[in-house]
Amino acid sequence: MQPRLALLLKHTAITAVSISLAIFAWALFARYFAFPDLVPSPWETFGTGAQLLSSGALLNHVGVSLERVLVGYAAGCAIGIFVGALMGRIRTVAQFVDPLLQFMRPISPVALVPLSIIWFGIGDMSRYFIIFYGVVIIVILNTAAGVVSTPNIRLNAAKCLGARRSQIFRRIIIPSAVPYILTGMRVALGFAFMGIVAAEMIAAQSGIGYLIMQSRMLLRTDIMFVGLVTLGLLGAAIDGCFKLAINRTMQRFMEHQINV
Amino acid sequence: MVMGSPSTQESSPRGPRVTTRAESRNSGTWDELALENVSMTFNPGKPNEYRALANTTIKVRRSEFYCLLGPSGCGKSTVLNLIAGFAVPSSGKIRIGERQVVEAGTDRVVVFQDATNALFPWLRTHENVEFGLSIQGVPKREAAQRAAKYLDLVGLRDHARKYPYELSGGMKQRCQLARALVLEPEVLLMDEPFAALDAISKRIMQKELLRIWQQFRMTIVYITHDVGEAVLLGQKVAMMRKGPASSIKEEFAIECPYPRKPTDEVVTAIYARVEASLQDEVGVSLYAA
Repeated sequence: MQPRLALLLKHTAITAVSISLAIFAWALFARYFAFPDLVPSPWETFGTGAQLLSSGALLNHVGVSLERVLVGYAAGCAIGIFVGALMGRIRTVAQFVDPLLQFMRPISPVALVPLSIIWFGIGDMSRYFIIFYGVVIIVILNTAAGVVSTPNIRLNAAKCLGARRSQIFRRIIIPSAVPYILTGMRVALGFAFMGIVAAEMIAAQSGIGYLIMQSRMLLRTDIMFVGLVTLGLLGAAIDGCFKLAINRTMQRFMEHQINV
Repeated sequence: MVMGSPSTQESSPRGPRVTTRAESRNSGTWDELALENVSMTFNPGKPNEYRALANTTIKVRRSEFYCLLGPSGCGKSTVLNLIAGFAVPSSGKIRIGERQVVEAGTDRVVVFQDATNALFPWLRTHENVEFGLSIQGVPKREAAQRAAKYLDLVGLRDHARKYPYELSGGMKQRCQLARALVLEPEVLLMDEPFAALDAISKRIMQKELLRIWQQFRMTIVYITHDVGEAVLLGQKVAMMRKGPASSIKEEFAIECPYPRKPTDEVVTAIYARVEASLQDEVGVSLYAA
């Protein structure tokens, strides 16, 4: 236990130093190299952040953004896993969907913002769509890759243990693809956070993206920084939870000991 | 070794047969597993066409321990995949008694060399063993009871709740063995099952396998590239020609009782003959300067 604790302490210490140095560099830059109106100091940013927190405005924006991410992300994952599994299983489906995917992949969700507003209006539906779009492609591709790469030996083993096609799919192929699906979902989560800001910058009345965009009008770079820091913290925190959940519950899907 | 010693059991390979559930499940009895003039060509008509087997005939008696030996790439695994029903021969017939093999089935279960991929990593050891029963719709409690019996048999009782990644190489193979045996197959197909194990584990597993075979009397087709292993285990050792277009070169019947010692005169004599046959086939003398 002792070396493990020491290792943890060391890790925490290095993390703390890394964050402190970054804040220190930011403070130096703000103090000596930049106009105060362009780059707010860390203290100013934290002060504004605290104000926005205590007024409840920040939490409100965070809540709204999170809700949008959650809906779009959940829909994207569900449909992505379904289509990806079909693609991986049925070659005709793969041949049918793949060119579409390759065409859509380079089209950033941001590029779809104007179109989605025309299609779905300025309500939340257009923002769900943007996030869904960013998520679904990644999840499809990863799921399909996972389904295809089920080891042949494992399929043969299931066959001689009496499993039929549908049983093999449900009980062998899908679990074999879980590590791939989770990786896809984790990457897609990052994309969902990128998408939400883009979606909220245009035609939204709330959310972190709106907060950042609105402060441009007021030349309030400190609020912008609050928005950016919030995004970073939020994303890192959620990714951390995701990682923890994988480590805790998904070990059993992996062939070897994992430590993501 | 903690498990029942084979020396206390009858040592003749032709002892009384234990009737298994598999036999009663089966419509008729059979006395021979046969490949008749089987040829196997991969990618026919394409530039990478490969003729693995040409007119191969193999006859395995029921309850026989049949070792298939040969240089690498000679089509040993192809033979096994065909018997398992994972592939269909380009020509020829595979039959068990009068039944023709057309697809995979629980009467012929395979133990693979690559246990990491063959086991289901998301299932605990006992769940891996229960898998085949669960597929057949055996109720959970009954499946657990039946699996427990075979986990005991292979010495995995204390590891039943571990996941495959927590098992050693030898224990993984025990798990595969239990997973196969719980279905009480008539034929056990083993594809170099102990080749990836260290020398000691390998010897222990060979002994265990013989003990289990002597108890259940299933037919075993055992693939190996290890002459020593083949002559210690097999009642019959078949040497395959090197590929392509491989077939059986010759068969050696080994009447010697079990357990066999590598130093027994009969064993060393047959070892020399099989080894000579292998070297002749490979075309390299391993003893010449």
